[in-house]
Amino acid sequence: MSSADPEHREEEEAPAVGDDEDTGAHVAPIVKLEEVAVTTGEEDEDAILDLKSKLYRFDKDGNQWKERGAGTVKFLKHKASGKVRLLMRQSKTLKICANHLILPTMSVQEHAGNEKSCVWHARDFADGELKDELFCIRFPSIENCKSFMETFQEVAETQKAEDEKESSDAAGLIEKLSVEEKADAEKKDEEKSEDKTVEKESASGKESKAVEEPASSA
Amino acid sequence: MALPQQHTVDYPSFKLVIVGDGGTGKTTFVKRHITGEFEKKYEPTIGVEVHPLDFHTNCGRIRFYCWDTAGQEKFGGLRDGYYIHGHCAIIMFDVTARMTYRNVATWHRDLCRVCENIPIVLCGNKVDVKNRQVKAKQVTFHRKKNLQYYEISAKSNYNFEKPFLYLAKKLAGDQGLHFVEMPALAPPDVVIDIATQQLNEEEICRAAAQPLPDDEDDLFE
Repeated sequence: MSSADPEHREEEEAPAVGDDEDTGAHVAPIVKLEEVAVTTGEEDEDAILDLKSKLYRFDKDGNQWKERGAGTVKFLKHKASGKVRLLMRQSKTLKICANHLILPTMSVQEHAGNEKSCVWHARDFADGELKDELFCIRFPSIENCKSFMETFQEVAETQKAEDEKESSDAAGLIEKLSVEEKADAEKKDEEKSEDKTVEKESASGKESKAVEEPASSA
Repeated sequence: MALPQQHTVDYPSFKLVIVGDGGTGKTTFVKRHITGEFEKKYEPTIGVEVHPLDFHTNCGRIRFYCWDTAGQEKFGGLRDGYYIHGHCAIIMFDVTARMTYRNVATWHRDLCRVCENIPIVLCGNKVDVKNRQVKAKQVTFHRKKNLQYYEISAKSNYNFEKPFLYLAKKLAGDQGLHFVEMPALAPPDVVIDIATQQLNEEEICRAAAQPLPDDEDDLFE
């Protein structure tokens, strides 16, 4: 920590403050903070797009766009689940401006007055709770905006294919459960322990179905 | 005006007092951090407004309770009563209005009467404006009084994180402290039915016709 040298003080004019210069008084610290491991929440994801941009949200009450933040927008694909989310962070403070999945039902369209901007709806989780938001994003160039829109549409369509696959997998699971139920019926006179085993499997099946939480309405 | 209730949090928190002439951009600066919005319209703050503002650092999460005070005398309320138990402070002036810099001395004097030996950042706001009245070289008060000085712009976000980072470093006595990514929780799965989807698409079309609030040639960092 460098302190200002009294000999170099100028009464009238002074050089512009450099970023690293500390002209503040020495004060006793009032907290003791220990370094902690940083978890970004992105550890299990691959970035498939990473662009500088500026985000806006639509204020319905005022019928106008409001700035949300300027920084970097990413599409992040989860290594295990294959799900893709949009994550935007503000420069410098690294706070989250937007955080939502890209769903098969989603689409993005151009902003009417600006060819470097586009608009979409999302159920956003930036604040740790789901909120309906209309977003607009602006890029430094038309090319970057096109790249974003193309990737967005591509991901949404890919997610649609993924969803359809999951549906058929789920159908298979249901079929399996039906077979088990039939077997159970046929084995009515079997020992209780086997009945308990089947019940346990059914219960776990039900639990897995309930994994998808119902969306909370804003 | 009743003082807002402050819920305690299980991570370090600090009372940050923000003072300076009316119209220098105190509220706009705080709002920029809280919502990301840039508020063009000037509405004088009455008394005080307290906003919690969290940052994530390499030493964990911290919070500043930003006591955004009235700059206009007639709306001063308890005036320097709001400074009591302040841990740190920002004095804001407007580089396009010379008088606001001259008045910094008064704000500093009143502040120091109540808060002894706290870290203080002097901020010269609106440096995005071309015809500034107070040049960088003319700002010397901070050297006389041992304050830190940052030229900032709440509009362009120039240096907008620096006052908070500086204060955090001083309060923790750790020059290596820096901001890190806020943890991004995995968003939960969402199911949107067709009716809602159509409604959303209609809203998108309407919103897409509304102009964006800021100039095209804003700087991208």
